[in-house]
Amino acid sequence: MSTASTSTAPRRMRAKVRYNVPATIILLVCAITVAIPLFVTINMSLKTTAQAVDGRAFTLPAPLSGDAFAEAWSLTDLPRALSVSIFITAIAVVGEIVISSLAAYAIVRNWHRRLFRWSFFYLLAAMFIPFPVVALPQVQMTGMLGLDNPVGVAALHIVFALAFNTMLFTAFLRSIPISLEESMRIDGASTWQVFWRLIFPLLGPMSATVGIFAFLQSWNDFMMPSLIISDPRLQTVPVLQSMFQDQFSNNYNVSFASYLMAMAPAIVAYLLAQKWVISGLTQGAVK
Amino acid sequence: MSPSPLSRLQTSRRGLLAAGGALAATGLAGCGASGRKDVTFYQSKREIFDHIKMLLAELDAAQPQYRYVHDVASNLSAGFARRNPPDVALQNYNLEMSRFRERGGLSDLSDMEEASRIRDDIKDLADWYPPYPGRTSVLPWSVAGAAVIYNRAIFDEHGLSVPTTWSEFTALCTELQDAGVTPIYGTFADAWTLNQGMFDYTLGGMIDVRTFYEQVTEIGEEVGPNAEHSFSKDWQEPIARMLELLPFHQDDAPARTYNEGNTAMANGEAAMLLQGPWALPEIAKAETGAEMGMFPLPVTEDPADLKIRVNIDLALWIPEAADQPEGARELVKFFMQPEVQDTYNVDFLYLGTTKDAPPATDPRIVEMQSYYDEARYYMGASQFIPNTIPWANYLQAIVFGEKPETMLARLDSDWASLAYRA
Repeated sequence: MSTASTSTAPRRMRAKVRYNVPATIILLVCAITVAIPLFVTINMSLKTTAQAVDGRAFTLPAPLSGDAFAEAWSLTDLPRALSVSIFITAIAVVGEIVISSLAAYAIVRNWHRRLFRWSFFYLLAAMFIPFPVVALPQVQMTGMLGLDNPVGVAALHIVFALAFNTMLFTAFLRSIPISLEESMRIDGASTWQVFWRLIFPLLGPMSATVGIFAFLQSWNDFMMPSLIISDPRLQTVPVLQSMFQDQFSNNYNVSFASYLMAMAPAIVAYLLAQKWVISGLTQGAVK
Repeated sequence: MSPSPLSRLQTSRRGLLAAGGALAATGLAGCGASGRKDVTFYQSKREIFDHIKMLLAELDAAQPQYRYVHDVASNLSAGFARRNPPDVALQNYNLEMSRFRERGGLSDLSDMEEASRIRDDIKDLADWYPPYPGRTSVLPWSVAGAAVIYNRAIFDEHGLSVPTTWSEFTALCTELQDAGVTPIYGTFADAWTLNQGMFDYTLGGMIDVRTFYEQVTEIGEEVGPNAEHSFSKDWQEPIARMLELLPFHQDDAPARTYNEGNTAMANGEAAMLLQGPWALPEIAKAETGAEMGMFPLPVTEDPADLKIRVNIDLALWIPEAADQPEGARELVKFFMQPEVQDTYNVDFLYLGTTKDAPPATDPRIVEMQSYYDEARYYMGASQFIPNTIPWANYLQAIVFGEKPETMLARLDSDWASLAYRA
């Protein structure tokens, strides 16, 4: 699209715009499927308990009440729970990107060696072992090693995601021409320098993708922290929030307030990361 | 490639690491700041979180030795597998929980003075589940007496009194229906409400639950159509009676959930609800002021057969592997004090477990007390089927129109195969 700069252009352009009616309708429906639950969440979180239990999700809050937020904040001890969640997520994201990219680099550049080729298949095989299958031995092992805490959970996240992430990185690495690397080596760079100065920056878009997956997985994970972390004071947000989901009682207003507060960091991180992915992709495209 | 995105990426990575390190430091600094020993206290039943939190604060202030860590999030199975369970717990006592006890995971509390204050029949109630020989492993703290919750205003309006026989009950339901009132509010979408409600009430009213399970446990893998006792044989009649209740529910019962049932009761949309005392505070949440009462569901023609459904709501226990058994015992002593225990039972509408516990006076559950004191109760039959058998779903299928014989035969074979595996 050309960038029109004269003052009369916008009016003429508007006349030319044609709407794709079916696509607009489909997009509207898609938007509604997200917007309505979000509206209900915000709406419910602002109600009093007496109003929240009446089962009418769309009635507006009357009276408007912020009590649910205060209660959710103190019930889950949100600042502490959020710190633990952020701690685990940060280690998982950084660890997954760094370790998987290193592994992928070593494997791709040594593909002709049997040890590396087979270690790749070995790593891939781990994709077929879901966490619940090995949960019990993991619980006992982390207990014996003193890793029944957030550090252990972060480490397990890194290890369990290693298979998928290494696969993503190897696929991407194969598309990077080896001549780039050779030119750097001629100038006297070591392998370590080549990786950090050349390969890792080039892997940017893929690192962003891996990072987003790592973030969402570790941030939202329930089962692993609930089984592995033994000290209740070091428990993550999703596990603590399970206290709002009880067979015998409901606190819609408090639980929705809590979900909203827990969602906030994820949304912020997602917006930032999304920007990265897009800029990374376009940079590669217009070389 | 311009250098700016790269450098931004690096700084933010460094920033993340720094933030992580700082967090780890503060997290670790949080532990062991005072000279007190940490005692982890696990609690199920999240709706009483605030009440328990208040009690723990009181206990923390009352003594200088221990600091009690309030835990509602831990996974018990993982804790026991790691040999690192909570030091003490106040928990719903059920079949799944009793496995820890049966295998000797819980310590003996019989030497505590508090253990001798528990009513003998309630101690025995805990032994309906497999005990560990020679140990008092759990101290029952509160008992839930469940029956038919009814709206007093609706009963008064139509000049109805509490029925004591099956024919009186069906006559009452017909009368309400003729007057345009829904007799019973059904919440069939939540399968567990069928289990604890119409199923447990008719079963418990018609057969001896404990004896029946002793029989089928003994028969084990032979349970089936040819055995002396089996689910399809002994349960056929009670299930048929249970199905007679269906026409007295509202039309959309299959689509309604537990929460909707409570709201409907609060709004006077139906006269009765088959639920336990845990539903009463939920009904009160809507703040409509509707007055409730409870009576046992009559399923025979003899008023002497009337019984209520009980279960141990909460029980105290200390694992063998507790790090701080002494601190745990301090907590048990504190929680077993009459003013602590009885206050909870009064406030949350449960029945006391000690010999000196005062009788319930709340009008909503007051009718339960005499049945409880005269031991006219049973534990819900559904509570003795392991979770590995999806009985609640089988029952739901029966209510939705599946033949009872088919589902009961399946329960028979499930029971037999579990017994074969054991």
